[in-house]
Amino acid sequence: MKQIQLITLLFFFLLLSGCVEREILDEIILMEGIGFDYVEGGDITGTILYPDYKKETEPENVTYSATGEIMKTILQDIERQAARPIAFGSLEIVIFDLELAKKRGILDLIDAFQRDPAIGSGIYLAISENKAKELFKGEYGLRGNARFISMLIDHNIRHEDLPKTNLQRFMGDFYQQGKTPYLPLIKQNSKTKIELSGVALLKYGKIVDVVSNEQSFFFKLLADKYSNGLHRVEVDGKEAAVQSIISTNRFELTSRDPLHITVHIKIGGTINEFTGNKLTDSFIKKIEKKFEKEIQKHCTQLIKRFQEKEIDPIGFGHFVKSKTRNFDFNQWWDSEYSQMEVTIKPVVTIDEEGIIE
Amino acid sequence: MKRKKQSVQSIKTVFTKSQDYKRICYENKITKLTFTLTFLTTVTDEKIVRDHILPFLLENEWTKLEDVKSILPIEDLQLTDDTSQIEKKLLNGFVMLTLEKEQQYCFISAKKENIRNITVPEVEFSVIGPKEAFVESLSENLNLIRKRLQVKELIVEQLEVGTLSKTNIVLLYLDGITNEANINTMRQRIKDLEVDHIADSSYIVQMISDNQNSPFPQFLDTERPDRVAATLSEGKVVLLVDGSPHAIIGPVTIVEFFSAFEDYFLNWILASFFRLIRFFAVAFSVLVTPIYVATLTYHYELIPQDLIGILVTSRRAVPFPPIIEALFLELTIELLREAGARLPTKVGQTIGIVGGIVIGTASVEAGLTSNVLLIFVALAALASFTTPVYRIGNTIRLLRFPFLLVGDIWGLIGISLCFSFLLTHMIRLTSLGRPYLEPIYPPRLQDFKDAFIRLPFYKQSKRPNQLRTKKASRFDRKNVIKKVKKDIDE
Amino acid sequence: MNRGVVMNKPIPEQKKVAPFMLFYIVASIQIGVGILSFQRDLVKVTGYDGWISIIINGIGTIILIWMIVQMTTTIEGDLLDIVSFSLGKWISKLIGLFYMLYFSLFSITVLRNYVEMIQVWMFPKLPIFWFSLVILLLVLYVVYGGFRTVAGISFFSFFLPMYIFPLFLFTVPHADFTNLLPIFDHSVKELFFGSYQMSLSILGFESILFVYPFLKEPKKAIKWAYLAIIFTISIYLYLALLSFSYFSEAQLVKNHWPTLTMWKIIRLPFVERFEYIGIATWCLIVLPNICISLWIASRLAKQIFFIRQKQALLFISGIVLIVTSMIMKRSQVLFVSQLLGKIGFFANYCFIPILYFITMFAKKVKKQ
Repeated sequence: MKQIQLITLLFFFLLLSGCVEREILDEIILMEGIGFDYVEGGDITGTILYPDYKKETEPENVTYSATGEIMKTILQDIERQAARPIAFGSLEIVIFDLELAKKRGILDLIDAFQRDPAIGSGIYLAISENKAKELFKGEYGLRGNARFISMLIDHNIRHEDLPKTNLQRFMGDFYQQGKTPYLPLIKQNSKTKIELSGVALLKYGKIVDVVSNEQSFFFKLLADKYSNGLHRVEVDGKEAAVQSIISTNRFELTSRDPLHITVHIKIGGTINEFTGNKLTDSFIKKIEKKFEKEIQKHCTQLIKRFQEKEIDPIGFGHFVKSKTRNFDFNQWWDSEYSQMEVTIKPVVTIDEEGIIE
Repeated sequence: MKRKKQSVQSIKTVFTKSQDYKRICYENKITKLTFTLTFLTTVTDEKIVRDHILPFLLENEWTKLEDVKSILPIEDLQLTDDTSQIEKKLLNGFVMLTLEKEQQYCFISAKKENIRNITVPEVEFSVIGPKEAFVESLSENLNLIRKRLQVKELIVEQLEVGTLSKTNIVLLYLDGITNEANINTMRQRIKDLEVDHIADSSYIVQMISDNQNSPFPQFLDTERPDRVAATLSEGKVVLLVDGSPHAIIGPVTIVEFFSAFEDYFLNWILASFFRLIRFFAVAFSVLVTPIYVATLTYHYELIPQDLIGILVTSRRAVPFPPIIEALFLELTIELLREAGARLPTKVGQTIGIVGGIVIGTASVEAGLTSNVLLIFVALAALASFTTPVYRIGNTIRLLRFPFLLVGDIWGLIGISLCFSFLLTHMIRLTSLGRPYLEPIYPPRLQDFKDAFIRLPFYKQSKRPNQLRTKKASRFDRKNVIKKVKKDIDE
Repeated sequence: MNRGVVMNKPIPEQKKVAPFMLFYIVASIQIGVGILSFQRDLVKVTGYDGWISIIINGIGTIILIWMIVQMTTTIEGDLLDIVSFSLGKWISKLIGLFYMLYFSLFSITVLRNYVEMIQVWMFPKLPIFWFSLVILLLVLYVVYGGFRTVAGISFFSFFLPMYIFPLFLFTVPHADFTNLLPIFDHSVKELFFGSYQMSLSILGFESILFVYPFLKEPKKAIKWAYLAIIFTISIYLYLALLSFSYFSEAQLVKNHWPTLTMWKIIRLPFVERFEYIGIATWCLIVLPNICISLWIASRLAKQIFFIRQKQALLFISGIVLIVTSMIMKRSQVLFVSQLLGKIGFFANYCFIPILYFITMFAKKVKKQ
């Protein structure tokens, strides 16, 4: 009996003093998106986006904005406008405005997302050509704006030309000395439409270059693997669409002095659209050859561009480092990278041509 | 003579207060011998006295008590001069025959027994299999068991408990198979009982449990004679209590409470599947509302994005924190259950349906609870009914509440801590001194053949390791399946 | 043999556990809070060659286990028997006292680190005192059940959280295994220093010296001790390789809890974020750490001071509770962890080999 009394007593003490702070689901603001815009004078405007769930209709997108110097002061200002505490745990998307990314850099803002244990590593960071505040005010879909943007990015990673990206990858690339990070670039077309407009390449948190949509196919070939891609090839005035592209790339250190790297790109795919009459074996061979040439041309162009701008989103530096003991990164960035020669050796195989000839 | 008079006198003074005490003198028609019959009308069967005792005593020729044995068609006849027995025998339904001149008493059995007909098991009903259930009569129950185990090794030991109720308890085991230590522990525990009155075997179960402060049942009770016979042949000890239609089986493990006896009537694949479902149901039943409370109170991050909308909208109108909401619903369900159990079957069902639907929908519409939680609570209640043994079902009903409370205090950490407490408690529990969590801990791979899954019968050639039986093998497996190595085309 | 120095009542058979339980005991005491953050200290020294240090450390530990096994089987007793055999009764008491304090500190460190983890990751306002009190009550409940219950808890703490380890594979799509290259980019000295860093994380195997008398057929248990070491080393290796390829080096060095951070990428259909479930499950992994160490500490107290183990346990847990709630700052937590690491390194990697040679020498002398 004494034990039971003790336990009940303890239980009541726990109820009274052991309590921790509650975050009851419907009594907090579940922030799903946050955006940062550049303001003349060096300040930043922060905008948070959360869905206000309604019964039987789509959630309403609510935004709060505030201007300040660092993220915490912005958030404090936003909290002053909010009726419920803001929770970070279901954050899905962080948007930086292009101007901010060009002029001020985004690094100091990202630190908070990395430090907060409530924020997942799988969230998406993106750069917007419009102001984030305007972007969040659109109406993009059934599940709320933040969800829409994150699904847009997710879809493009899985099925289109966007190489894999998320907070963890961005930070990993940033801290990897032989690599520079990249982020998706999005653009608001109208109040209800947004699109992916390319891949932004960063160095020290500032945008240095942008890979356009036309080239991002080749960028992904170099930076990531394809599991399900699509590309159009034009041969003799006829167009063929190569689908279900599966690609792998392999780097080879062909010579150290002078530094020469060969990139082997292997592509498999099927043809699912063809504007010509008949698809013969020899024509498929032609398509393959043309495709290979295109890859070679564009990839070499891209790499040349990266070398000029002193960025390395593909990770050549990391590759060479993994082959070299006592690697010196200062020397690499000073001279070796810009003098490096890269050869692209693509191999394209088209195995299927659909159900007709 | 004097002594006899005295004792008879004392009995008279004891019993004359009772209305049912009868003492009548008769005279034999041939020998003119006067004899006295003493009995209690409420415990003796008047029909036996009228038809089987009196006519023989009146019309046959006899002079001594010794002669009675040969003239009466009743086998349970005792001659004794032990006066201390009189009271007990009379209360037990014997008729006392005394002669003026003789020292001895003759006790003639004329017990009145009202035996309920053997009915279909209600608590452990099974669609397939035998339909007999125990009744309140010990001899009838013994008959049901003996019928199924016709071997001389089945030992029936009689014990008596209760200073007032004088309840007969029978200890059953198979000689040469059941572990001596188990039998001795059980016997000793019964002998050590200090109690005045026993109403049912449930009294015994509670009193002989290893840890009486545990919500877990440490003995299995069953109303199925077939189950008793099966467990006896497994090497377990069984107790039958007079006046109770439930036999007590020990030692048991926790997993046995989740195995229905029907499992053995089904194909092993089906039986194993259903068993696994039951375990899942129990885990679900105990944990789902606590996890709901913990997640909604503390760990909103855990909830998948697509689900958040549903949860938020369903909770929007609810003015209470999740814990109050959950307690409200859980208590409602418990109320419905208690009300249903106390009411007659037909009314009970109506109450269940009306209460479930009306209160449920009404409280959602009134905004007292969220409909998502209503689904969880209803499912949890449903899942807790899947336990085949009634007693463990009650335990599971109770277990949910501590989990709920700690889930509210420390979220998932609290649930994890509470689970650790529960786990430790179960590790520490024993049944007749045998580990309760076996075969999980101590891990005995061999006993897994009939725990979470039930393997086919030919795999069950060994008795459970946990029982430490004297004869480990049940049958010779080699003779059962003669492996004939045949090629495909033979 | 020099028996009866300490109160050595033979342990009743029903209090003993099967030989293979040694596997769970050793494995569960070795995997605790260290596994959540060992990568950082390792990488600081050895970079991404750290996995070699883990292997070196594993080999070293196996040698130590061999020494422990040699000693226990020749003397057929626990540490106190061994020390009193080779060094005498009074020194054995001193050593016992040292280990008693060491294991108390062990439980303090584990408990406080777990509280720290919860405070940072889940509940910043979790009261240290109340939480430690509840955990210690649980520990008391376990240890009062005797060694079988302690072994039982370590058994379950091995199996129940097992599901976590495959989940780390969620990092593989985002991993770059070339991070590990080039191999041997660091000097041998650095690698050995790394394996010293590693030794702080896998403390606990010395518990074999104390649980030995509680094993049925102890000779059969030997192989389970080796297997346990191999198991823990492979778990550490597995986590090291995954985290090395998931994080880039500079990122990992910045991270206090790499193992926990890896959970952040896990996304299951019914659970958006795994780390909260993981931290809650970790309670089961931490529990046997404290149970076994407090069991050993209280048993040592019983053997040294001739008091009942129950009282010793109550007293030690009281002290653990007070000390744990007095450690307030993160820097203090780190200090205590490092202190334990240093003492543990001395206790295991210095004292045990010395004791081994002394014992073997003493045995030879006594034979002659």
